Amino acid sequence: MNLLAISINHHTAPVTLREEVHLSNDEIKSYIDELKEKYFSEGFIISTCNRTELFGIPKEPATSYRELENFLVEKKSIDNLTDDHFQKFFSCSALNHLFKVIAGIDSMLIGDNQIMGQVKESFQLAQEKQFTGFLVNRVIDSAIRVGKRAKTETTISDGAITVSYAAVQLIEKIFSNLSKKSALVIGMGETGKIAAQHLHDKHIGKLSITNRTMEKSEAIVTEIDAQILPFERFKEHLADFDIIISATSSPNLILTKEEIKSMMKKRGNSSTVLMDIALPRDIDPEARSIDSVFYNDIDSLNIIVEHNMKKRKDEIPKVQHIIMEELISFFGWYNSLEVAPTIKSLRDFYEEIRLAEVGGYKNKFTKEDQEKLELVTKRIINKLLHHPTTELRKAAEQGTNTSEAATKIALVRDLFGIENKSNTDV
Amino acid sequence: MKNAVDVSNILLPLFYLASFAIYLYDFQKDERRLSNVKRLFLFLTLVFHTFYLIARTVAFNHPPITSVFEIFTVLAFSVSFSYFILELVTDIRGTGLFIIIISLIFQTISSFFIIDLTEVKEVLRSNLLGVHVLHALLGYAGITISAVYGFLYLMLYKELKLNKFGLIFERLPNLEILEKLSFYSAIIGFILLSVAIAIGVIWLPQAFPNFSYLDPKLVATFLVWLMYGIGITTKISGKLQGKKVVIFSIVGFGLAIFSTIVTNFLAKSFHAFY
Repeated sequence: MNLLAISINHHTAPVTLREEVHLSNDEIKSYIDELKEKYFSEGFIISTCNRTELFGIPKEPATSYRELENFLVEKKSIDNLTDDHFQKFFSCSALNHLFKVIAGIDSMLIGDNQIMGQVKESFQLAQEKQFTGFLVNRVIDSAIRVGKRAKTETTISDGAITVSYAAVQLIEKIFSNLSKKSALVIGMGETGKIAAQHLHDKHIGKLSITNRTMEKSEAIVTEIDAQILPFERFKEHLADFDIIISATSSPNLILTKEEIKSMMKKRGNSSTVLMDIALPRDIDPEARSIDSVFYNDIDSLNIIVEHNMKKRKDEIPKVQHIIMEELISFFGWYNSLEVAPTIKSLRDFYEEIRLAEVGGYKNKFTKEDQEKLELVTKRIINKLLHHPTTELRKAAEQGTNTSEAATKIALVRDLFGIENKSNTDV
Repeated sequence: MKNAVDVSNILLPLFYLASFAIYLYDFQKDERRLSNVKRLFLFLTLVFHTFYLIARTVAFNHPPITSVFEIFTVLAFSVSFSYFILELVTDIRGTGLFIIIISLIFQTISSFFIIDLTEVKEVLRSNLLGVHVLHALLGYAGITISAVYGFLYLMLYKELKLNKFGLIFERLPNLEILEKLSFYSAIIGFILLSVAIAIGVIWLPQAFPNFSYLDPKLVATFLVWLMYGIGITTKISGKLQGKKVVIFSIVGFGLAIFSTIVTNFLAKSFHAFY
C-alpha cells in the first residue's frame, strides 16, 4: 500500500517550531484543496499542539517526502524548518505510526485522553472535504478501532498524570458525590484555573474562587459558573467548604494550622480536603495532623502522578499487541485486493454456476452433444469474463495496488460476493 | 445422603478458599476479565452451600442450628450471601476478599469440629426458633459486614492521611461509600436482630419454664442491640459522621463477639442447648 506520511512532532521539534507549524481547521481545509490538486488522491491532515502530520495516497508514484516537506515549509513560511524535523513513513510504517498516535502511545503524556478526539476530528475534516476515498476510509475505520480498543482493553489512559488532575482524583477517593460538595479555589494562576476547571468538569455542587486581583479571572468565572469571594474575606467562609485548593504565588502561608482547627470545629469535624498545589506552600503542612483533614501538597500529588505514569508505560506492550493485530487484519484485507486472486475467484464463481447448470441438464443430451455443451458454455463464460478480466489486469499494471485498481477489485469482490472467501484464504 | 453431607463438609472450605483466592488475585491484579468470574464462583459456592444446608437438615432431621459449629456454617453462609447481595446491588466489587475470608474462617472451623447429631432437644425443632435463629444470624452477618467495611474505612483513612497510595488506595471505593456500606449493613443487621430479639422474647416464656429476663445472654444481647440503636440514631441525627461512625460499628461488633463468647462459654445461660 502506498500510503505516505510526514510528521513534525514533539520527538523531532521544539515547541516553538511546533507552534509555528500548527494548522487551524480553516488552514487544514485550504491545504487539503492544494494537496488534492498537487499530490494526493486521498488523505488527511492531523494538527494538534504536539504534532502536525500529512497522510495520503500519492497521485504519482514519484511523489517524494521532500515535496511534502517543502509544501508545508512554503505554506507556513518557516525558514528554520529542516528535513531533520520530520519523521517519514511509508505503507506499513505509516499505518503503524497512525495507530500509535490514535492509541496515545506516541503522545507526550502517554495515554493522552484528548488525542483520539483530535484525530477523529481530522478524519471528519478530510471526509467533509471529500479527501477520503476507498482506501483512506478503511484506514480511518481501522485507526478508530485501534483507539477504541486501546481505551477499553487496556488501562493506558487510566489515572491522573497531571498534578491538578491528581488532586481531583484524590478528592474522589474521599467523597463519593462531588455534586453535593462545595469547593474553594484560592489563586487564579494557571494551576488554579486548571484545578477549578477540573472541579467544574466533575460537576462540583458549589464552586467559589478567590484571588488578590480578579480582573484576569473574569472569563473563567463565567465559563465554570463559579462564585467570587473577596480575597480579604474568604477566611470567614472557610467552614462552608468541603474542598479547599490553594495555588497562589504567595511567599508566606495563607492558612495556618490554628485557622484550619477553628474551621474544623465550625464544620463539626466533617471530612475536609486541603490541596496545597502552590510553591512555596500556602497551607501549614501541620494541618495534616488534624482529625478528618486530608492534606496534600505537590510532593504527595506527584507520587500519584509518577505511579500512574509508570502504570501507563507498563500498558504499552498491550497496546502494541492490539496495533499488531489491527495491522495484520488491515493488510489481510488489503492483500485480498490483489488482482490475480480476484480474477481466479471470479472465474471459479462462474465455473461453479456453469458446472451446476450443465450437470442438471446433462442427461438430456447425447454423449456427443454433451461435449458440445461443455465447449459452448465454457466459451460463453470466457467471453463474459474477457472484458472485466482485461480491465482488472490493466488497472493492476498501472502499479501495485493503486487506488483505482483497489477500488475496481473491491467492487468486483463485493458484487459477486467473493469478499469473505478471499479474506478467509488470507 | 449422609455421604453427600460428609463430602460437602470437606469441600465447602475449599470452595470458600477458591473464591477467596480469586477475589484476592483480582484485588492485586485488577484484571477486567476476572470481574465476572469471581462473582460467578462465589455464586456457585453459595449454591453448593445451600445444598449442604438442605442436605444436612434432611439427613439429621433438624435445621443446622443446634450447636456452635452448626451455627458457624450458617453464619459463614449468611455473611457471604449478604455480601453477594450487596455486591449485586451496589456493583462495588473490590471488597469481597475481606468479607469472604470471614466465611472461610467460620466454615473451616465448622467443617473441622461439626458433629452429626441425630437426637436433639425437642425445643430445637420449633419453627419459631428457626425463624428466630435465621434473623439472628443474618443480623450478625449484617453487623459483621458493617465492621469489615469499618476496618476498610480506617485502612483507607490511614493511607490517605499518610499519603500512601498503594493497593488499598487504588482498589477500595472512596471513604464516603465505605462509610455508607458500613452504616447500611449495620442498619440491616440492627433490624434483623430486633426481629430476632422480639421473636425470642415472645417465644422464650413458652419454651423455657426456667427462663428469666435477667439471663446473661439476654442482657448482653440487649446491650449490643442498644449500642447499635444509639449509634444509628446519633448518625441519622447528624451528630456522628465519618471515622466516628465506623469506630462505633467496630466497637459494637467487638462487644457482640465478646458477649457471645462470655455468655456461650463462660456464663450459665438457658441459651446453651448443647
